[in-house]
Amino acid sequence: MEFRQRVDEVKQEALEACQGAPDSQALEQVRVKYLGKKGSLTGLLRGLGQLDPEERPNAGKLVNEAKAEVESAIKHRQQELAVMEQQRQLEAETIDISLPGRPRPQGTMHPVTIVLNEIKRIFVGMGYSVAEGPEVETDYYNFEALNIPKDHPARDMQDTFFFNDNLLLRSQTSPVQIRTMEVQKPPVRIIAPGKVYRSDSDVTHSPMFHQVEGLLVDDHVTFADLKGTLQYFAEQMFGSHTKTRFRSSYFPFTEPSAEVDVSCIMCSGQGCRICSFTGWLEILGSGMVDPRVLRMVGYDPDEVSGFAFGMGVERIAMLKYGINDIRLLFDNDVRFLRQFEGQGGCC
Amino acid sequence: MNVSYNWLQQYVAIPWSVEELAERLTLAGMEVESVSSADPGVSSIIVGEIKEVQRHPDADGLTVSVVHTGREDLTIVAGAPNVRQGIKVPVAPVGTALPNGQLIEAADLRGVQSFGMMCSEQELGLSDDHTGIMELPQQSKVGQSLSEVLGLDDWIMDIAIYANRPDCMSMLGMAREVAALTGSSITYPSIETVEDVHAVTEKLGLRVEDSDLCPRYMARVIEGIEVGPSPLWIESRLRAAGMRPINNVVDITNFVMLEMGQPLHAFDYDRLSGPEIVVRRARPGETLLTLDGQERNLDEEMLMICDAEKPVCIGGVMGGANSEVTANTTALVLESANFSAANIRKTARRLGIASEASSRFEKGLDPSGTELAMERAAELLRKYAGGRVAEGVLDDHAAASKAVDILVRPKEVERLLGIAVPTESVHSILSALEFQVEEQTNGDLQVTVPPFRTDIELECDVIEEIARHHGFHRIPQTLPASGAEPGGRTDRQQAVDALTGLLTGLGLQEAINYTFVHPQSMYRLGWDEREFGGLVLENPISEDQAVMRLSLVPGLLEALARNHSRQQSNASLFEIGSVYIPEDPGMERQPREDLRLAVAMMGQRNPRHWSHSNSELDFYDIKGIMESIVNQFELEELSWKRTQCPWLHPGRSVEIQLQGRWVALFGQIHPQTASVYRVPKTVLVGELNLAAIIDHFGRRLAVSALPRFPAVDRDLALLLDEKVPVGQVLAALQEAGGEILDDAWVFDVYHGEQVPDGCKSAAFSLRFQADRTLTDEEVQEAMDKILYAAKEQFNAEIR
Repeated sequence: MEFRQRVDEVKQEALEACQGAPDSQALEQVRVKYLGKKGSLTGLLRGLGQLDPEERPNAGKLVNEAKAEVESAIKHRQQELAVMEQQRQLEAETIDISLPGRPRPQGTMHPVTIVLNEIKRIFVGMGYSVAEGPEVETDYYNFEALNIPKDHPARDMQDTFFFNDNLLLRSQTSPVQIRTMEVQKPPVRIIAPGKVYRSDSDVTHSPMFHQVEGLLVDDHVTFADLKGTLQYFAEQMFGSHTKTRFRSSYFPFTEPSAEVDVSCIMCSGQGCRICSFTGWLEILGSGMVDPRVLRMVGYDPDEVSGFAFGMGVERIAMLKYGINDIRLLFDNDVRFLRQFEGQGGCC
Repeated sequence: MNVSYNWLQQYVAIPWSVEELAERLTLAGMEVESVSSADPGVSSIIVGEIKEVQRHPDADGLTVSVVHTGREDLTIVAGAPNVRQGIKVPVAPVGTALPNGQLIEAADLRGVQSFGMMCSEQELGLSDDHTGIMELPQQSKVGQSLSEVLGLDDWIMDIAIYANRPDCMSMLGMAREVAALTGSSITYPSIETVEDVHAVTEKLGLRVEDSDLCPRYMARVIEGIEVGPSPLWIESRLRAAGMRPINNVVDITNFVMLEMGQPLHAFDYDRLSGPEIVVRRARPGETLLTLDGQERNLDEEMLMICDAEKPVCIGGVMGGANSEVTANTTALVLESANFSAANIRKTARRLGIASEASSRFEKGLDPSGTELAMERAAELLRKYAGGRVAEGVLDDHAAASKAVDILVRPKEVERLLGIAVPTESVHSILSALEFQVEEQTNGDLQVTVPPFRTDIELECDVIEEIARHHGFHRIPQTLPASGAEPGGRTDRQQAVDALTGLLTGLGLQEAINYTFVHPQSMYRLGWDEREFGGLVLENPISEDQAVMRLSLVPGLLEALARNHSRQQSNASLFEIGSVYIPEDPGMERQPREDLRLAVAMMGQRNPRHWSHSNSELDFYDIKGIMESIVNQFELEELSWKRTQCPWLHPGRSVEIQLQGRWVALFGQIHPQTASVYRVPKTVLVGELNLAAIIDHFGRRLAVSALPRFPAVDRDLALLLDEKVPVGQVLAALQEAGGEILDDAWVFDVYHGEQVPDGCKSAAFSLRFQADRTLTDEEVQEAMDKILYAAKEQFNAEIR
């Protein structure tokens, strides 16, 4: 048999074996069988000595070429098998991705805190400081200094909790206005968030709730400034399309006084059940600080003027989140609280 | 207050629909809460006249009437007692519907066919009166629609009047507001006083003893009174205002009150002893049966209207039954008076009476308003109740009210509002509101306040009048010039916000509880004192919310209990809030309000999940949280010690102290407390005295460079006596390990096989690290010291 033919046959056989090797182990056997020290192609190379000297170079070349071809086939097959094996491995490692993930414990801020922080963020951004004051107040700070003397009918506007003739649970955060102005000369620019108390309890009234009071006193502060400030607040709080409406009202410590409505956040002012089909939601009370109040803290109402406003935090939270019973806010049912996951940031 | 749109138009021209009027009034500060039709749905009910009445042949209580309705004669069977020939009544013929939706059909009533229904006021939705068929005035036209007859073709606005505007609790006051909005003026009713020849002084004496409580008392005597029904137009007005017509005398006093805002009272002249009117404070022990049938105990702070012998009326609040006008009354004393607002308010509160009169007087009425109302009522009584008005008026007027003059400067208007209001508008608004305005050469306005505007004292009060009628919408929106100083939160506020962030980050849910609690809340918590040592509300809403909390723990435990009872047995809550600690037993001073932070947890550490077995929260969970919290503070060494706290398990609780002051208490709940609060015995709870440490919030942080050399890790298992606290061993190891011991932690605590009884095995992981490569010898030397310390201090054996 021609040498060339033998080389071809062995090569062919090796290539087929290579292709047929089912895994890397079998492929290694193929390599040993043909290319190993005792392998058949190696054997052919060793048998060159028996050939005519003039044939040898040619034959040697033939065998080496065959060897190279088989080596390359093995390498190729190796890669193929590696891919296949990884595939098999990956398949074997496949899991049920439909099972629920492992939850990380997630806490929640109380909706009142979420809304309070939002309000604080807006006003702090406008240069307001956050002031605080006691919840157990004296009659003087809660009423007298706010131009509500004893037996004034305005005392009926807020059913107040009393401890005795003098001490009471503040019915508004307005006392913080007085306490701040007593120790600080104008300009004053504060908001005062906190708990307030009124003896009233139903689905929209809680005997304890939260208010944020605002006060700005400086030279040349006008009602127009009040309007602009609260319009800006409403846009920040409820969205840039929010409109405000100022209605004349009465508070003993502001003159003129106004209730502030915002366009209904549910229906954008079209009229719905939430806004009793008026298109407006009453959100804030406000007004220009009464000169009697300014005088009481030693300010000169001819020199400075100011505005004040106040809002109920629960009411805003209820509107924002569609809460229909204020008592849910103080019930602390985890199913309620859990719904606020991921809501709210710091101020 | 109910304000009739039609009635209002008697005093002022209204160029707007009722909706538009309501909107404008609301913006100007007269908040219209609702607008409703005056007609409850009676436009298809017609006036019928009963032609004849017979008894029903087969039923005792029933009558069979023939009722003429203009077009036809209807046979109607009825059960009402007042059915009689000749009266005019509202008839609902077959095919019409009553306001409640009931459809009238022909019916067979015990063998007699009935073709309609005669209606009571209740059936017509006009009142609660169901005692008989409503009787209409004889002048009513047969066949006319009932809504026309009763003037129900009208709109009723329900308007909320602010406490400072008693002048608006009347039709004239409301009309004045409308006039200021339309730029017109109001028309007062014309009054013609016709007096009898007999002088009032011959018939009645008047003595005001306590004029401090009664600045003005006017009285007239009116004789010849015939008590009967009022004319229909007066009845209609009263109904529109939501009042029930009673008789002409009472109706007229009410009508004038509604029209002018001045409450009046009529006494039966013949039932007064004296005859004399004495205005004085009640005497100790005096009582009076008031018109509502209640016996009232009076006290010396209450002002009484008396005759020569006894009280006959609580002045400005409610009349007495002993002088009430009845069907037999023929002569009246008509009172038009003014009372001290504060005193009326006090009396009405004390007696629990809120009458139409007291709700007006207590807001402060003008003493000069008594005159017009007196004349108006006298005239109406003359015209509609047969009255002969005695000549003259008894009038005790302590001091005429002084007119208030205010200088209003256009400059000031602009300074407060941010816009200039045109002088013509100012004039128009103020004169419609009946202010007298005199312009001075410099443009300032000298304004005289009408006496009924008791709320106007200062320039800014007048500016408010200008602003609200000019319209707030006309004022532009500007932003105040920015402040010189930046705003922001105080350090404490930032600390609270950061702690809230920390705890929510640790997976807890923020709770907010009521700050008032049950008086026994501390006792229930396990404290000995049955007496609550905190602040007690004088007027709590309920026993559950009667005292101010001394701890946040009861509120959180109650929240856990509520969740538990609702099958929510996994809950981790925290709250940051104040407790209220009295500073003096007499409660003269304000209490201390201390900020606290509390945590309460129950249930599984993680929600039930397919991937892990359940494990319940335990002591070490809350300890970990407390560690995380106090790590946020820059504090001197804290001591963590076992504690005997009544609401905590004595074997599973810790008190943290800082220089002897308590910082926190936490642990597993005491089983006794758990059963009182109905929460699981495994509940974990803790309270931290934030007030004591909040000023130290914020750890000072200096980042250390990352190690450049490899660390050497060694594990160490020690056999320890069961009683030895592992935490102390760990601390000793850390101490003994010296500088190169970078970190040490407990990774296993084991009882059981291969550990002798009374012992435990604790395994520690130790990491050695230095700014060089450590040699084996160095590490071994440290290990030897560690082992020596463990052996020496705790008798520990290496395992």
